[in-house]
Amino acid sequence: MLRSWVLTGLLFVSLTSTKGMAATQLVVEAALDRQVVAPLLAAFEKAHPEIELTYHDRTTLEVDLLVETSSQAPDIVISSAMPWQMNRVNEGYARRIDSQPAAQWPEWAKWRNEIFGFTFEPIVMAYRLDLASYMLPPQTHADLHTLLRSQQESLKGKVTTYSPSESGIGYTLFQQDARYTAKFWDLVKALGNAEATLELDTQSMLEGLTRGDYWLGYNLLGSYAMVWAQQHPEIIVQVPQDYALVVMRTGFIHRDAPNPEAAEKFMNFLLSRDGQHVLAGKTPLFSVHPDIIGPYTAQRLRDQVGDRLYPITLNASLLAFVDPQRRDAFMARWQREFNQQRELPQGPESRK
Amino acid sequence: MRLLIAEDDPMIARSLNSALTALGNTVDTFSLASQARTALQNDRFDLVLLDLGLPDGDGLDLLAELRDRGDKTPVLILTARDGIEDRVRGLDLGADDYLAKPFSIAELEARVRALLRRSQQRSDNHLRFGALCLDSSVGSVTLEGNPLELPRRELRLLEGLILNGGNIAPREMLESRVFGFGEVGSNALEVYVSRLRKRLQGSGLRIRTFRGLGYRLEEEPS
Amino acid sequence: MIHIDGSLKVRLAILLLVMVSILGTLLMIEAYFATQRAAQRAYDSQLEAAALTIAEAVQWEGADPVVEIPAAALQILATQHQERVFYTVLDHNGDRLSTNLDIDLPHTSRQAAALAPTWLDLVHKDTEWRLHGQEYDSAGWEIQSPVQIWVGHTLRGRKALASELFDRAVIRFLAMVLLAATLMVLAMRVALTPMRQLRHQLRRRQADDIRPLDTRVPEEMREMAEALDTLFARQRESRDTLLRFTADASHQLKTPLAGLQSTSELALKSRSPDVWYQALEEVHGGTQRTSRLAGQLLSLARLRHIEDTEALVPLDLKELLRSTVLEWAGREVAIDHDLGLSALPSTPMTIRGEPWGLRELLGNLIDNAIRYTPAGSEITLGVESCSDHCMLFIEDDGPGVDPEGLSRLFQPFERVGRQDTEGSGLGLAIVDSIAKRHDAELHARERLPHGLRIELHFPLHEEKC
Repeated sequence: MLRSWVLTGLLFVSLTSTKGMAATQLVVEAALDRQVVAPLLAAFEKAHPEIELTYHDRTTLEVDLLVETSSQAPDIVISSAMPWQMNRVNEGYARRIDSQPAAQWPEWAKWRNEIFGFTFEPIVMAYRLDLASYMLPPQTHADLHTLLRSQQESLKGKVTTYSPSESGIGYTLFQQDARYTAKFWDLVKALGNAEATLELDTQSMLEGLTRGDYWLGYNLLGSYAMVWAQQHPEIIVQVPQDYALVVMRTGFIHRDAPNPEAAEKFMNFLLSRDGQHVLAGKTPLFSVHPDIIGPYTAQRLRDQVGDRLYPITLNASLLAFVDPQRRDAFMARWQREFNQQRELPQGPESRK
Repeated sequence: MRLLIAEDDPMIARSLNSALTALGNTVDTFSLASQARTALQNDRFDLVLLDLGLPDGDGLDLLAELRDRGDKTPVLILTARDGIEDRVRGLDLGADDYLAKPFSIAELEARVRALLRRSQQRSDNHLRFGALCLDSSVGSVTLEGNPLELPRRELRLLEGLILNGGNIAPREMLESRVFGFGEVGSNALEVYVSRLRKRLQGSGLRIRTFRGLGYRLEEEPS
Repeated sequence: MIHIDGSLKVRLAILLLVMVSILGTLLMIEAYFATQRAAQRAYDSQLEAAALTIAEAVQWEGADPVVEIPAAALQILATQHQERVFYTVLDHNGDRLSTNLDIDLPHTSRQAAALAPTWLDLVHKDTEWRLHGQEYDSAGWEIQSPVQIWVGHTLRGRKALASELFDRAVIRFLAMVLLAATLMVLAMRVALTPMRQLRHQLRRRQADDIRPLDTRVPEEMREMAEALDTLFARQRESRDTLLRFTADASHQLKTPLAGLQSTSELALKSRSPDVWYQALEEVHGGTQRTSRLAGQLLSLARLRHIEDTEALVPLDLKELLRSTVLEWAGREVAIDHDLGLSALPSTPMTIRGEPWGLRELLGNLIDNAIRYTPAGSEITLGVESCSDHCMLFIEDDGPGVDPEGLSRLFQPFERVGRQDTEGSGLGLAIVDSIAKRHDAELHARERLPHGLRIELHFPLHEEKC
């Protein structure tokens, strides 16, 4: 009798100590460039050495599918495709976080304390510096429209933007544009007439601009664009002055996360002053936190752009954008407007 | 007879002393309970007159002490008129009689005589009253020294009267003595009494009838 | 004895507490359901609004309905509590045109929604949802066909609202109870002021102050105040009686004492032994009288002030009578009278009485009879049994008392013409007092040809009868 008790005790002790000795796993599935977010990850690993972080850099579609279909659920899900994230949350895939950083997070940047927008990225136009020698560079959407019409011949084939059918973030941005003003469709028509190339991600657009394939890009992720522009001085980034969309990259803990405590530590770090400080100081992802001071903060952006920031609100209205019928209707209209005179080439399936 | 008086009021003590001495008794008077106690412990008395309101102690305590050591000296307690509880308690504790103040000397003398007679009767086997002497062990009576032949019942009746000497003998007591516990007619006793009366004629003694109560053997008033 | 038996305030407080608790519980139950209903209605109206908004966005492309879900509708569904939302749009065949969650709608509910707006509570994947379904007629140019729209959301907001409303109701109720309790305490203090005032008044009285009460009292306390006043009045009466009695008594004592004083004073002036002897005889008689009077006064005073009726015990009247008469007959004072006892009946006679008192009573009657009859008179005592009481009597064949004197016979200090230098006039007053204590009726009448008969009728003690 005593012997079995002793054995059980030893077994228990060994298990717990093994657990303690081995690091906790943490799997993050993200539609967010590893390079861009690296300083944040490094800071987290330093702060929590007991957690072994596995970061997967994927497309928004891949991330979205993983939420539902993977055999072992990820711990953290990060994406820039706000409507799809909201949809997953609405379906009940997110886990509520009841920590102090979560409670103190601004109301407009979280939903149900389950999903949190932790970056504040402006959507920008970008153009080659030498464009200015030919034409007046656009500062507003209206300018862009005027430019595309007046300089249609010069710009033919030299304009780029997101593909709404292939890119989740792209689709979202166009939906928001359309929501903002009906004049958006005039812009679509103008883009179509200028035979704009529809890319899958901002990176491709920036590379194209640098190579000289494109002179002008619309609806790029400001975070990437600004970083790129720092290294490529021939590229100018323009935050539209009439209105500028702002996207928040969102993250949530999966309901079936295998390591929920570690996941919560990660999210808390992300939302903490330390995390946001790293975000604001060392990454081009603007911080949401109002108290953080740095070059990349929402406040700074407001200071620069003023009241024309048009953030995409994190609320249930986003769910409308994943409605298939609505999507179909939108795409149908896009087709009509964009392809008034020509067919749209089909690209590979990919969204970022 | 040797008498002890415990009385603190000087006037009463003086009158008691002289009255009782005049009767031929030797009287010791004390005004404190402690003195009386000492006297009782050291000497024998034939009668004690005990005032309950002594200044240095309750007379009843003294009485209780006396009786507790088996002393059967007759005690007459003197009480104030409203000391009813005292009287009852005194009798319960073993006092033989009581007298309430203020009392008449005549009453006192009568009671003292009765008590002394009773105690004397207990001392020897002869019951005496006036000229009568009854030897209860043998059952013979003498009147002025001459034997008196009496039938059994008359003898018993006389015995009963003498035993109560000076006090009224209740008729129930006499009836049960004379007739036993059987039923008797109301006049039966009267018959024997009248017979006894005849025998006692000229002896200086008489039997007085108390209606409904009993009879008393008394000395004829001179 | 005064026993403290609870407290009015405590009793009232407990009663009120019980009542308030019962009422409060009922109220809270009602409030609970009311708040649930209110929250339900408030949030249901949001569902209705959202459904309507979606309905308005239904368009027709040819024969097919098309709906572009308005983003605003979804935010209405979400409410400020950020609920999870659900919508589905069905065509007239029940086929899904658009939906965001795979919630199975029961067939019966869909049928019901076709007739009238329907509400449904269900659980989907461990979450509670409330759904609203309604059919809308929708018309295009070519076709007219109903469209069934279902919307729903989770219940966090509802529950929060219901609980907030309920909490507020509870707090209001508790606050009200507290306020009411405080006011009630104050009100009781005010209401009980007359009692406090009366209490203060009584306390401030001196111990021997028995003046009538001068106070204001409410109706309910009238009886008590009147009872107190009556008590004071009786005490005043009793005190007055005592004062009168004391005055009488002191007068009665002074008279013989004055006589003693003058007799002895005169005697001291003389040198003649005969004068002294005579004076001494008078003084002797006077002192005897005076001590007898003093003793009787004391008895009478005692009798008037003993309140204790618990001293009455069951006793055998016959035995007490026999022993008392026996005792008296043996005394010197009775030696010249024929004091006897008449034959006693055989029935038992038990009364409630006080042995001392009855002996005193008998003693006074016998003493009176001895004094007021000449030597040789017959004095007889006895008892007779009547139906519901026992009758004790004493009769003599002395001179008796004339009829009008009979009525005053038992008053203190009344001699009723019976001149005698020894008596004090108190003996029969004492008998009267004792008789009253024993609830006995006292009668006196003359005997023929001469004499006095006094009867006492005692109520029998029930047990024995």
